[in-house]
Amino acid sequence: MNSALSKPLEVPVMLAVDKHLAIQQQLFYEARLLDDERFNEWLELLEDDVRYRMPVTERRFRKDRSAPLAFGTGYIFDDTKARLGMRVGRLQSGLVWAEDPRNNVRRIISNVEIWQGAEANEAEVYSIVTIHRSRIDGEEKRFVAGRRDVWRETTQGWRLALRELKLDNAVVLDSNMNTFF
Amino acid sequence: MNELDGLIDQKSGAQRRLIYSDQAIYAQEMEHIFGRCWLFLAHESQIPNPGDFFRTYMGEDDVLVIRQEDRTIKAFLNSCTHRGNRLVRADRGNARAFACNYHGWAFGIDGSLATVPLEREVYFNEIDKDQFRLVPVDNVASYRGLIFGCFDKDAPSLEDYLGDMRWYLDSALDAMPEGTELIGATQKVVLNTNWKLPVENVCGDGYHLGWSHAGAMKATQSGDLSGFTVGNTGVDLEGGMSVAGLNGNSVLASLDGVSGYAFYPEPALALKYLTENRAKVVARLGKFRGEKLWGSQLNLTIFPSLQFLPGLNWFRVYHPKGPGQIEMWTWAIVEKAMPDELKQQILDNVLLTFGPAGLFDNDDGDNLASCTSQSRGWRTRQMPVYTNMALGRSGQRAGLPGDIASGIVSEHNQRYFYRRWQEHMQAKDWSEVPQYNLHPLEAKDEQRTVQTA
Repeated sequence: MNSALSKPLEVPVMLAVDKHLAIQQQLFYEARLLDDERFNEWLELLEDDVRYRMPVTERRFRKDRSAPLAFGTGYIFDDTKARLGMRVGRLQSGLVWAEDPRNNVRRIISNVEIWQGAEANEAEVYSIVTIHRSRIDGEEKRFVAGRRDVWRETTQGWRLALRELKLDNAVVLDSNMNTFF
Repeated sequence: MNELDGLIDQKSGAQRRLIYSDQAIYAQEMEHIFGRCWLFLAHESQIPNPGDFFRTYMGEDDVLVIRQEDRTIKAFLNSCTHRGNRLVRADRGNARAFACNYHGWAFGIDGSLATVPLEREVYFNEIDKDQFRLVPVDNVASYRGLIFGCFDKDAPSLEDYLGDMRWYLDSALDAMPEGTELIGATQKVVLNTNWKLPVENVCGDGYHLGWSHAGAMKATQSGDLSGFTVGNTGVDLEGGMSVAGLNGNSVLASLDGVSGYAFYPEPALALKYLTENRAKVVARLGKFRGEKLWGSQLNLTIFPSLQFLPGLNWFRVYHPKGPGQIEMWTWAIVEKAMPDELKQQILDNVLLTFGPAGLFDNDDGDNLASCTSQSRGWRTRQMPVYTNMALGRSGQRAGLPGDIASGIVSEHNQRYFYRRWQEHMQAKDWSEVPQYNLHPLEAKDEQRTVQTA
């Protein structure tokens, strides 16, 4: 089992400054790779057992009495590395007409917190991603999501083992989500 | 309305583009179509217990569907009868009562006005609470688990509205005695399209699959399995059919009994379920539906705005938000008898393929939005668009209801969709709306249903 799926430490412990900076740098580097559509290099930042998930967002009363849905809300993304590879393959097929002409995308990564993870070689990282997409004519689309990541230190550097996303919109305000968070 | 006569031309398969952008036509659609037709509200499985509620729309009207203490289902306008505020702002849940945020009027799940704050002090106990019940939706009825509502008291019964479409619906909804359920939360996406364009895309447009979705078909390696070639270079017209002429309802069907699961990355579990239950389904539904339809990719459309695809298993309703915008709501539909592992896999696959980030769904949105925007210009709104493929090449097939064209690449169903649209728009009320089930089933034909619920 992917140890990254285990619970975060209850008492947060900071990492050494060099590790802290290396991870922060990795977040910004990752965002630039995605903005530049360097998807193959992005895939290399992911551990082989990575999980990349975004559940469907619902609006519910705080004191709602109903039982949880039998099969959960479902996930907009519930991806392994192979499935992320399939999404990249689609985007790179040259046959995704919604991405041609190219849509310009900028990711802003903010509110970054970096803590010691559950395993010695892991870091628990919280951040917020704002994705701006300039699409057809004057269309400007924006997604905002919270992220809880686990990054793992490997011989190749820090690699993403888990990303749990919380999309703020219960109604998705764009015709497609041909994008990574 | 004679000025509507020229909007649809059945002979040439043409539609005037202003039907996708004109505000006056949209206003008339709200009255003649969404104010008149049976509209999907929710699936019974989504509100199993008393007090369970589900919030949805009928046209642009916000509606609350509630399971009652006696387990019947009622629907109300989700609007406080005092000052009109939206009563419930959650998507779904369970409640004993609903209090309005504005002044605190509280309504029971049966729509009764239960409490009025300061009733004695400021209303002097003179308010007739019975007069201020939530306004009910006049007609609410279910067909095999699907709850529909209708604002028009003169509408035909839900069964008559569905007509012979029921014979096809049952191949999905009644294949197994336990019926179906919707799983997962509601996936909601705003699309800047006129509501008719996604309906016509799904009701009949097999033509776009190999081209619009070429990238997804290539990535999922699903092209060869479904009878298409990536890039629209080949097609098999014998393996499917387009069925319409059923009161505006329609079917696109592959006829191989398995192709619905062709897009699944790992179809083994689904195929095992189909194999294990095939004989049972054939016994319930007869040979044609049991062998040719059950398990195949089917696109089922209930006029005006409900569509679901057994096999691919997505279930969708479109809520119009003006002539140029919709909210598209999607769930996964499964057979209750399916093993949990398969249900979970289906939910996952629906989201992978047709969810907000779906590999296939992400190809359609821009096309639908652009067809809408290209009907807005002073010149373009006067121009026609066409569904003229395979005109006149349809007819009767022994034992099957409806007017049927070969293959799922045809524009046969779209023409019937626009014909129905025109019939409703021109009719002053239900008495002027023609009812037709072309080539109806006869008693000697295949067993219709195994039970009448």
